[in-house]
Amino acid sequence: MRDMVTGAARAINWNRLEDDKDLEVWNRLTVNFWLPEKVPLSNDVQSWATLRPAERELTIRVFTGLTMLDTIQSSIGAPALMADAITPHEEAVLSNIAFMEAVHARSYSSIFSTLCLTPEVDDAFRWSEENPHLQQKARLILEEYQAGADPLKRKIASVFLESFMFYSGFYLPMYWSSRAKLTNTADLIRLIIRDEAVHGYYVGYKFQRGLERLTEAERAALKDFAFSLIFDLYEVESRYTEQLYDGIGLTEDVKAFLHYNANKALQNLGYEALFPPAACEVNPAILAALSPDSENHDFFSGSGSSYVIGKTVATQDEDWDF
Amino acid sequence: MLDAVKPDLDYHALNAMLNLYDAEGKIRFDADRMAARQYFLQHVNQNTVFFHSLDEKLDYLVDEGYYEAEVLEQYPREFLHAIWAAAFKRKFRFPTFLGAFKYYTSYTLKTRDGQRYLERYEDRVVMVALTLARGDQALAMRFMDEILSGRFQPATPTFLNAGKKSRGELISCFLLRIEDNMESIGRAINSSLQLSKRGGGVALMLTNIREAGAPIKGIENQSSGVIPVMKLLEDSFSYANQLGARQGAGAVYLNAHHPDILRFLDTKRENADEKIRIKTLSLGVVIPDVTFELAKRNEDMYLFSPHDVQKVYGVPFSEISVSEKYHEMVEDKRIRKKKINARAFFQTLAEIQFESGYPYIMFEDTVNRANPIAGRITMSNLCSEILQVAEASEFNEDLSYAKLGTDISCNLGSLNIAQTMDGPDFGATVETAIRALTAVSEMSAIDAVPSIRRGNDEAHAVGLGQMNLHGFLARERIHYDSPEAVEFTSVYFAAITYHAIRTSNALAREKGKTFKDFDKSRYADGSFFEKYVTRDWLPERPEVVRLFQGIALPTREDWAALREAVMRDGLYNRNLQAVPPTGSISYINNSTSSIHPIVSKIEIRKEGKIGRVYYPAPFMSNENLEYYRDAYEIGPDAIIDIYAAATEHVDQGLSLTLFFPAGATTRDINRAQIKAWKSGIKTIYYVRLRQAALEGTEVQGCVSCSL
Repeated sequence: MRDMVTGAARAINWNRLEDDKDLEVWNRLTVNFWLPEKVPLSNDVQSWATLRPAERELTIRVFTGLTMLDTIQSSIGAPALMADAITPHEEAVLSNIAFMEAVHARSYSSIFSTLCLTPEVDDAFRWSEENPHLQQKARLILEEYQAGADPLKRKIASVFLESFMFYSGFYLPMYWSSRAKLTNTADLIRLIIRDEAVHGYYVGYKFQRGLERLTEAERAALKDFAFSLIFDLYEVESRYTEQLYDGIGLTEDVKAFLHYNANKALQNLGYEALFPPAACEVNPAILAALSPDSENHDFFSGSGSSYVIGKTVATQDEDWDF
Repeated sequence: MLDAVKPDLDYHALNAMLNLYDAEGKIRFDADRMAARQYFLQHVNQNTVFFHSLDEKLDYLVDEGYYEAEVLEQYPREFLHAIWAAAFKRKFRFPTFLGAFKYYTSYTLKTRDGQRYLERYEDRVVMVALTLARGDQALAMRFMDEILSGRFQPATPTFLNAGKKSRGELISCFLLRIEDNMESIGRAINSSLQLSKRGGGVALMLTNIREAGAPIKGIENQSSGVIPVMKLLEDSFSYANQLGARQGAGAVYLNAHHPDILRFLDTKRENADEKIRIKTLSLGVVIPDVTFELAKRNEDMYLFSPHDVQKVYGVPFSEISVSEKYHEMVEDKRIRKKKINARAFFQTLAEIQFESGYPYIMFEDTVNRANPIAGRITMSNLCSEILQVAEASEFNEDLSYAKLGTDISCNLGSLNIAQTMDGPDFGATVETAIRALTAVSEMSAIDAVPSIRRGNDEAHAVGLGQMNLHGFLARERIHYDSPEAVEFTSVYFAAITYHAIRTSNALAREKGKTFKDFDKSRYADGSFFEKYVTRDWLPERPEVVRLFQGIALPTREDWAALREAVMRDGLYNRNLQAVPPTGSISYINNSTSSIHPIVSKIEIRKEGKIGRVYYPAPFMSNENLEYYRDAYEIGPDAIIDIYAAATEHVDQGLSLTLFFPAGATTRDINRAQIKAWKSGIKTIYYVRLRQAALEGTEVQGCVSCSL
């Protein structure tokens, strides 16, 4: 990073924090580091075979949709945000976010290569490239990411992507796992959700810090922008959801989940809820499935999503007092 | 599957509501009870095959090859009617959704297409009782009574398989030695496949295998060490499962002073290369006392080549006490060695436990000091509660046995502490349980692995476990981390030990037979009983005295009389107790797991077969929540104290899991390990971590996430 004034290159000093949140989130993201190889996806092969062809096709499509969003976030979204970073630490956190998004995109391919046949996957990727709703979702977000756009608008778009748009896809693996299907895949998705929750929260937090420097009028304009964007996104998202889930009759339930997450995304930006509580009554099986902590998994059929990279502290002489 | 019911009304959703507070911040226990009820109404009852009469049912199940005819033929029809009528008269109901769901998903007999249920819970219990009683009607009634009342719960393989025609074995758990030659490795892989296919968890000892870079036939740098053997084993276990009913599972144990130890641990690293990464195989490390002493002095620890040790001492590495021979081996030029810093080793151990929960730890010298049986214990099993002696086999080139050694099997079953304390006759409950476990041992003959068969025939080792300690204590309004809880545990386990030995002694008289090498054991010379005849193991605190009211506890005189009887007539079972972690069976039995604290007020249980389900701790209501502080809140110290009190009396081991918040450091884990070792704990099972959601990212109103 270069000094804004002098243009001299600056070394990042983590001992001089301008915002403590940067270190807190950095620590959280680094202990949460994981790779898809950790999860024994192959234990889901038998379970995959019990899905009907239509259910399998839906699952693959959902995952290709997610892959696309993660690809955008990794290669365009997070780097674009990085350019807007105010502190060098923020930039470092965002580079971690960019990398983990790439890990997420990679993870879906791990799922595909473990469970599916190549032609099925190729079909689904073609579907995702040709699907008008998915493409429009991508377009709406990409427009805001473009160079020249307002940095705060970029953050809004990013939070909506991380905290809202992923969830129509996350619904399905959570649903399967509540029915004892694809439970290891769900573990992997839960690791992704664990990351996305932090990403959305962090970018939203930075957005709120950014707002503090603006005038009342500028803030009102941004708020208008945010609500109008979420309306547009919700519109496409509903159609996308209908197209995916109508066939198996889960659309209403997924939409409730969308409402719930739209509110969460707005909350991350510091805004009030858009949907009334009655519209956000998520199936408890899905809601309860979102929390990765304190899950008591059986080690013989999965690896769980609660392990982290620990903090290493050497023992001292008094510890060995015997 | 998907088109079944509106998701917001179904039993999964009702069950999940347990994990979400209601508007007043109360836990919705009623939602779970409704879930259990709806599960029967919406699913079980509609999918259960209906029979007009017991006769029609039994004839059908035998004719269609679902039930073993031989089991039923041992009894007259009138008796079968009587036992079934007695069982159904109990009006058994599952108190939780998970109990019912787990039972119907994983245990009950189903039609061959897996679509319809052929048994209710009572049917399963009666079939288990009839199978294990082997024609003894009175005993069959006692087994049925103990199991259906919830006092005794056989382990999964027994409860799942007994009485079924196509089934796996009744035994849970196997332990195999591997020696430092290709024949032994090959045989071990074959044995793992065979045992895995039959439904057991298998643990293997790698300590004797020469390290990477060791010479083969005198040529240096030839051996690949233990990692490739682990890879082979891991793949074997994922291939073999018991008719798809249970996933194959395996563990490997390695001595801390084996030169491959760091490589062994690194297989569980988050960023390990795919070629060496071990995903589904469980790891265990065998740690002798000397390692702790070296770490205390902050010295290096030497690692010794098993190949050279065997050449020098003429016995495999595992048969040497590293603590005893450590300095001798350090000085011996013939033994190749390398060194690592001892504290760094413990720190690495803790790092890996942070990342993966592994490895298990067995404190080798503690285990062998406490072992009343002649011989050396060199490893534990998949759940780190089995601790028995074994004897190496030798092989010919065609893999036949040149010398048949013994390997270890153990069949398990657990008592529900709350139900046992409430029961009419404490001693009789223990006796019935030991007799049931002995029956499993006598009925098992694993011919596919002759060393296992021989070990079982000679030892009749069983492992009686315990569960629902926390549930019981909480119901009695006693905190898990209190002196009362420790005292209760000590008195309870002493009484269990007394009755277990009493029963095994009676069995020895009845059968006119003891386990092999009884005369070399510390039971035979009476020394085992020293601590029971020189002091009382009776309650002192008024709270604990109250708990044992109405239960006849053994006095010093009782123990002295038992010592005489045992020295005279021997014991039938070489091993009697082992406290397993009790996963599935504790849900069916409505217990808290093992003698651990609960992991959460509402436990999120995830397994391959059942998905994610929510389980309320037994006897918990919105009024007594304070007694249900979970394992992460209670912390490792209190858990270790409880386990130390129990370990005192248990001849084998206890699966002890340590729980830490994710903010803990490797130092915290190391301190807990040191405390465990100092307190006489024999083994440590998993390290579990709980990470609280970052403030601002948590799911609102979720019971298991609130801290």
